[in-house]
Amino acid sequence: MDLKLREKFALKIQYLAGWVTFPIWGTFIISFMRFIRRYKIQHLREIRKQFKQLKKSVDGPIIICPNHLTKIDSVILNWSLASMFSYMRSFKIFSWNLPERANFFQNYVLRILCYLGSCVPIDRGGNRNAVKKSLDKVIHLLRKGHTITVFPEGRRSRTGRIDLDNFTYGVGSLVSKVKDCNVLCVYLRGHNQEEYSGIPSRGARFYLQMELFKPQSEFSGLRATRDVAGQIIDKLVLMEQSYFAAVGQ
Amino acid sequence: MTKDEVFNKIVDILKRYSKVEIKLENISMDTSILDDLKINSARLVDIVLDFEDIFDIEVADEDADRVATVGDGVNLILAKI
Repeated sequence: MDLKLREKFALKIQYLAGWVTFPIWGTFIISFMRFIRRYKIQHLREIRKQFKQLKKSVDGPIIICPNHLTKIDSVILNWSLASMFSYMRSFKIFSWNLPERANFFQNYVLRILCYLGSCVPIDRGGNRNAVKKSLDKVIHLLRKGHTITVFPEGRRSRTGRIDLDNFTYGVGSLVSKVKDCNVLCVYLRGHNQEEYSGIPSRGARFYLQMELFKPQSEFSGLRATRDVAGQIIDKLVLMEQSYFAAVGQ
Repeated sequence: MTKDEVFNKIVDILKRYSKVEIKLENISMDTSILDDLKINSARLVDIVLDFEDIFDIEVADEDADRVATVGDGVNLILAKI
C-alpha cells in the first residue's frame, strides 16, 4: 500500500469535517427520508440494538456488505444502523462508501454531501491505478478501525435478486489485506421494491436483516479473494431466500 | 511452449468470458482485455486463475494487476513457464 502522508491527512480532515458538520447534514438527510419520502425501517430499534451488540462483540474492523437495489441504499443503511446521537458520539461507526464518481459527483451539492458523508469516489472500470488508489484509501481506513460499506454485487442488481453472474471480487481482496476483518452481510429491501431503481418509492417500508461473520479461506492470493467474495454472496443469497420465504413468495 | 501457442490458448480462455464476437476474431497482442473485450475486473481474476491452472504457474497479485492486454498475459506466462 503506497498511500502518501498527504492522502492520509486528507482522509482524516474529511472524517473530521463530516463529524463536525454531521448534526446539520445528518438532520437534513434523515428529515428528507422520514418526512418527505416517508420511509420507515421495520423494527428500527431492534436493528440498532443488534448492530451495537455486533460491533461490541468483535475486535477488528467491519466491512458492511449489503445487497444493492437503489442509489441510496448506503444512506438508508447508515440511518438504520445507528441513531444520530450514536454517530455524534462515535463517528467511526458511520460507514464510509465507495460511490461511482460518475453517479454522484456531477454537481456541487452532491459533491459536498458525498465528501461530508464519508465517500471515497471510485471510477469503476476506469484507470486501474486510480481504482487501486481508492482501494488503498479504504484499506487504510479499515486498518484505522473505520467501518466501510462495499456492495459485493458491484452495481444495482438488474434482476432485482442477488446478482450471481456479475458480482465482483474487490471485497475479497479487502478482507484478505486487512487483518481480523469482519463482514456484516446486510439484506435491505423496500416492501414494494420489485427491481432496481434510483430511489425507493415514497412511503417505502424497509426490511433489514444482518449477519456478522469472519470469512476464512483455505486458499491464498487471488483464489482467496474469489473464495471470500463467493462466501459473502452465498450468505446474501440465503438472506434473500429467507426474506422471500417470510413474505410468502 | 512457443509464443503463438500461448497466445492461442489465451484466446481460447478469453472466448469463454467475452461476448464481444467481432473483437475476438481480431485479437492481437495489443487488445485490451477490459476495454476491447468488455471483460470486468472480477472476470479478469478468473482469467488469471485459468492461466494458473492451464499453464501450471503461480501468479502473484501484483503480477495479475499488470495484466491489461492480451500481450501482457502472454508475456506473463512466458516468463513463468
